Amino acid sequence: MKSQSKTWNDPVLVAAVAPLAIVMLVFFLVPLAMTALLTFQTTQYYRLQWTWDLTIWTEIFSKPHYWTIMLRTVGMALICVVISILIAFPTAYALTTRLKTYSAQIQILIIFAFLTDAVLKTFGWILVLDRQGVANWLLSYLGLGPEAMDILFTPTGTMIGMVYNLAVYPMFTIYLSLARIDRDLVLASYDAGASRIRTFFEVTLPLSRPGLYSGAVLVFVLSLGAFLEPKVLGGGTSPLASELIRQSFETRVNWPLGAALTIVLIVIGALTLALAAAFVFRRTPAARRELA
Amino acid sequence: MKKGTAEMNKLANDMNRRSVLKGMGGMGLAAAGAAFLGMPRGAQAAESLNYMCWEGYNAPSILDPFQAANDATIAIDLITDSAGGFAKLAAGASRDFDLVSSDSPWIQRMGPAGFCRFLDDADFAEQYADFYPQFAAPFGPLQFEGKATGLPTRWGWVGPTVNTKFDTLEAWSSYAPVFDSAYKDKICLLDWGDWPIMPLALYAGVNPYEELDEAALGEVRKVLRAAFKNTRAIVGDLAIAQKGLLDGSFRALIGGGTYCTSSLRLKGHDYIQSIVPEPKDGLKQGIIWMEATGLIDNGRNSAIAADFLKYIVSPEVAKQLAITEATCNLVPNSKAEALFSEEEKKALQMDYMWTAWENSQFHTVAPNIDDMLAIWQEELAAR
Repeated sequence: MKSQSKTWNDPVLVAAVAPLAIVMLVFFLVPLAMTALLTFQTTQYYRLQWTWDLTIWTEIFSKPHYWTIMLRTVGMALICVVISILIAFPTAYALTTRLKTYSAQIQILIIFAFLTDAVLKTFGWILVLDRQGVANWLLSYLGLGPEAMDILFTPTGTMIGMVYNLAVYPMFTIYLSLARIDRDLVLASYDAGASRIRTFFEVTLPLSRPGLYSGAVLVFVLSLGAFLEPKVLGGGTSPLASELIRQSFETRVNWPLGAALTIVLIVIGALTLALAAAFVFRRTPAARRELA
Repeated sequence: MKKGTAEMNKLANDMNRRSVLKGMGGMGLAAAGAAFLGMPRGAQAAESLNYMCWEGYNAPSILDPFQAANDATIAIDLITDSAGGFAKLAAGASRDFDLVSSDSPWIQRMGPAGFCRFLDDADFAEQYADFYPQFAAPFGPLQFEGKATGLPTRWGWVGPTVNTKFDTLEAWSSYAPVFDSAYKDKICLLDWGDWPIMPLALYAGVNPYEELDEAALGEVRKVLRAAFKNTRAIVGDLAIAQKGLLDGSFRALIGGGTYCTSSLRLKGHDYIQSIVPEPKDGLKQGIIWMEATGLIDNGRNSAIAADFLKYIVSPEVAKQLAITEATCNLVPNSKAEALFSEEEKKALQMDYMWTAWENSQFHTVAPNIDDMLAIWQEELAAR
């Protein structure tokens, strides 16, 4: 305890931490606080009225459609996390093992795709998923008949766009985790008689957890704010939270409502992450015994 | 040559990474310092205007001649949503702008809201004299308590936009196909604020431009719910809507009208047409939309801004404003008509414009618009 207080009295440490603390305070906490304060105002004739009441919160808690969209958003984000991880893990694993020779080249290709503007990539998918698009042409060529696939302007189209734009994040975080695994541990597992599958599940997978979790968190948080994909590939018929918030701010010019929905989304996102963290970092019986 | 090579080598040796970084840093500081200290950056204009506007108004072919003739610079702030533009002005930006071009109901609102200067029609008598009689002063849709809040600049109509290769125009003499199961997954609603709501409300027998009671709002809810059943997509992007219309995956666009038709027609797709349905139950089913330009009351009230307002509605400029890269639209200046080529007139459906006008409501301030937008959100969420 004594050493802690001494540490925080250390001017060098305070000076080192202060710039980041100030940046976080000014550019994150203050805007967040202002957003929260905005939720207690109302609008009249498209102008903000400083009323300090609970009108907006009453509306949010009395209209189920806001919650329908919020839950749909969280559901889509969780599905996106699972699919992204399922794609990213084998890719990262292959890059660190089977494709090690071409790893740099493949990474450069992935980075190029990643750095290409998301608007361009998302609109590009229309040419692929359209009824007269590349995918249907290919399916027709394979004998499945014309317009065999009709997923543009559906939630499936939205999901394809989200996974395409976001799967690269866990790809790199998992790759970094896998690349740092000491090869001797894997070899030791083999020497101890473990099969490849058992080694994977008992050595490689547990050691890649940091990359797995950080990638999942990145995908989840970015999915909650997905705007372009539901709008362009989803055809706007199953709106997610970001579109609801945009409509409230822009079309309805109801800034308090938009701010309140933003707060709701942040809280739901934070709670989901907290629950996931509690589940992931729960103490196993072995760990509990060890602690005892 | 040899001496030169030796010098180059010496230079290369001297130019290590640190010195290059130092040099770049120095150049950056110098540039930043110059900006702060107001060093000469080429010719400075005598006056600068800040202009909030839709696409098209910012075309260099429109702005450049005015800037050169008046020794002024015009800084543009493009809006993609009229309500958003209004909200921005309401949030305090009205102090920074001189001019605004937006949808007419929003310009009309800006007068009483205190953002726009009220105009004396007599000051613009010369401009009004060039307008079609339908836009003559005093022009009701832009008036508030007998005072004008802006001048009309572009217009068109909202009705079903149809590809006549797939459908006859007669089939769309009403909005009935929007609800016909034969058109399931073939209807595209334009995600442009209240625009898709208004025509569907009119079809339901509700005049959305009047004060609505609960029963009328209930009818709006029912008609939106029914329309969503056949809707394939609610599209905000013009290019996606136009592509779907051309390839037949969308049989009609609802809520766009001439704004998403004319540019396609000018490119040779003259089989794409926007029409106005026949009146139903005594209600005109078409909607006339109009953009207007107003002078913002920012305390400075520049005279050059008023000159720009006269300039933007002049025949030559109006013609340029009508035919832009993204869209083609009608203009209120009758003298501009003589400047259009036959192809341009055909693209703008000028032979049909007064028929559309006769069968349309004028898009004005809708008292219950927020209720209708809330219903739109609720019904969309429930899909």
